[in-house]
Amino acid sequence: MKDFLYTDGWGAFTVMLFFHIPFLIIFFRVVYKKAFVNTGPSETDPQKYPKIEAIWIAIAVVLFISVNIMSVVYMPPVSTANMTTNSSDFQEVEFTAKSWYYDISNREYEAGRPVRFSGKSSDTVHGFAVYHPDGRILFTMMLMPGVETPTTLVHTFDEPGTYKVRCLEYCGIVHHAMQDVLVVR
Amino acid sequence: MSAATSILSNTPVFGKMFQVDTKNGLEDINAWPALIIMTSFIWLAIAALLGLGMPIIQYFGLNVFLFNYYTSLTLHGAAMTFPFAFSLMVGVSIHRAGGCMGKKGNSIFVRLYFIFMNLGGLLFTLSVLSGFQISYTVMYPLPVVGAQMGVWPMWSVVLGFTGIALILISMIVLYPIAILRIIFFDKKYEELELSPRTLQDPGMLGMLMAVLILIITGLPLLTVATAVLLYLYGILPMAWITWAAEPVVFQFVFYIFAHNLMESMAIMIVSAVYGTLPLYLADGTRKLYSDKLANAALWILLITSVTSFFHHFYTMFPALPSTFSYHGNVMSWGTGLGGAFTIFTILATIWKHGIRPEPGVMMILGGFIIYCLDGVTAMVVANVALSYHLHGTMWVGGHAMTVLLSMSMMWMGVLYHHYPVITNRNPDGDSCRRSYRFYFIGGVGLMYSFMAGGASGMPRRIADWVQSGFMTIGFSILIFGIILTLGFVFFLSNLSKSSEIKV
Repeated sequence: MKDFLYTDGWGAFTVMLFFHIPFLIIFFRVVYKKAFVNTGPSETDPQKYPKIEAIWIAIAVVLFISVNIMSVVYMPPVSTANMTTNSSDFQEVEFTAKSWYYDISNREYEAGRPVRFSGKSSDTVHGFAVYHPDGRILFTMMLMPGVETPTTLVHTFDEPGTYKVRCLEYCGIVHHAMQDVLVVR
Repeated sequence: MSAATSILSNTPVFGKMFQVDTKNGLEDINAWPALIIMTSFIWLAIAALLGLGMPIIQYFGLNVFLFNYYTSLTLHGAAMTFPFAFSLMVGVSIHRAGGCMGKKGNSIFVRLYFIFMNLGGLLFTLSVLSGFQISYTVMYPLPVVGAQMGVWPMWSVVLGFTGIALILISMIVLYPIAILRIIFFDKKYEELELSPRTLQDPGMLGMLMAVLILIITGLPLLTVATAVLLYLYGILPMAWITWAAEPVVFQFVFYIFAHNLMESMAIMIVSAVYGTLPLYLADGTRKLYSDKLANAALWILLITSVTSFFHHFYTMFPALPSTFSYHGNVMSWGTGLGGAFTIFTILATIWKHGIRPEPGVMMILGGFIIYCLDGVTAMVVANVALSYHLHGTMWVGGHAMTVLLSMSMMWMGVLYHHYPVITNRNPDGDSCRRSYRFYFIGGVGLMYSFMAGGASGMPRRIADWVQSGFMTIGFSILIFGIILTLGFVFFLSNLSKSSEIKV
């Protein structure tokens, strides 16, 4: 479940609904009741408000912290740092993005062995998003020209297949055609 | 009769909606704000048509003049954000500030704002029509790279940057100074003081915070953009402006401002909601549940929002060191804490005192709901792990669009509240109810359509929805876009049919 929530766009959608649904229920209930059912002042004991306020804020803080703490292991900077420290068996891939194509050192990789992607842009801002064959985005990288340190990320492809690459940073009138393909065997 | 009143009287269709009352002695706080608001709705009409056109262009694969996806995208985004949403805020907030402080809203800075924003918008439009398709976020150094590749002419870059510079000056210098003058310096007139407020009042505190954010976070961008513009004019040699022409410099100062522009607009509208909501309480207390909690929410929003802009650059690791990513993550979710305080203040106020469900306040609450829903989408994409799956997708475009739609809806509700004072006319309540219902359904539907697009990996700003298999999302965007547009149409037709208040 955690893998789905933090590694899939629809997982992110689920996280969003996790907050949206209770908010909508509470907000509509309060507004409907006090605007259309009983518009008079509430009979709630005034001393109860600070208590409810504290509970509301506490719930928000706990939820916000929990969602983010659970995500730490899924953060690519964290996993990239861990793998770089603990392993040296990488498939190294260097690439340069240019309007409107990629120059990639190697497009074929072994499944199960970490791949270290290092990329730069040579003209304007570009993206390098790798899509799983089922259509979800595995990761995206932003490449800014003039930055000396290449954007870097380590990813291990678990399944063989053909993975599409797309630019996700608007780069001009042929932006939509800036695509490539990677093969995992 | 002021120049603004005269322009309003002579403008067909839209002028009738915002014709100010010249007999009530309030022309000094009504005329220029009304003109700015009217012009913002003209830009909205253009932006809405372009927005509706985009899914149609995609479906039919059109590529002629305005019927080109990237042209529409650039013009729609720019018109919606600056001369519509921002100017609507400017018009209503200057009227509010004038009426709360008893000061005139027609200073030279207000007049210059009107000229700079609209002239800038026109110049930028002309450059886009000549091929300058850079999206409303500029994507520097794309403007220069496009010219070097021969995609658009260099003169369109100069024209476009001139327009952008005028818009930036209006937002970063002219508007904030106009508000600061009203709050601190201008002469007070008893007859203009409609609803006295002080800076302890959350409704005024937020306004002050918002304009200070604009100045502080905007000046670095204005400096860099000025240097680039002087080079484009041939006044400065490249050797003198290399520090400003670096993409990473321009991108960082751009997002420091662009991000905080949205945050300052959010603080401004939240403060306007704090100022307006109590006027509709059923028991007539005219007080928020807690001014302290309301002010705390504004302070939290202010402090956390300033450095949360790092979330625009997470996916540049390690060029953006991970410590800044984690900081951006924490601060972005910190703004959610300010949101939680705000939600509680509003719900507790309504629960404690009851509320009269009049059209203006219901429109404000509808906009507030969309604003909160959008806030969650922003927090989700500001989580470092999730950002690597969503950045650059329709999720992000949907967030930017929804925050503007929600703030505009709240401003339209606040405008509905002020409208009788400005024009001496009453809008029709039933039409307004129809308007906010359509607006709400359209806005929420659009937001979920964009988020679904982002969740399924749909890139933003691509011209091949059909070929990439995303047209289902495109149809959903079109349907909810039509519903939203009807919400706007009902609102404006309501204003044009408003009836004069008989004393």
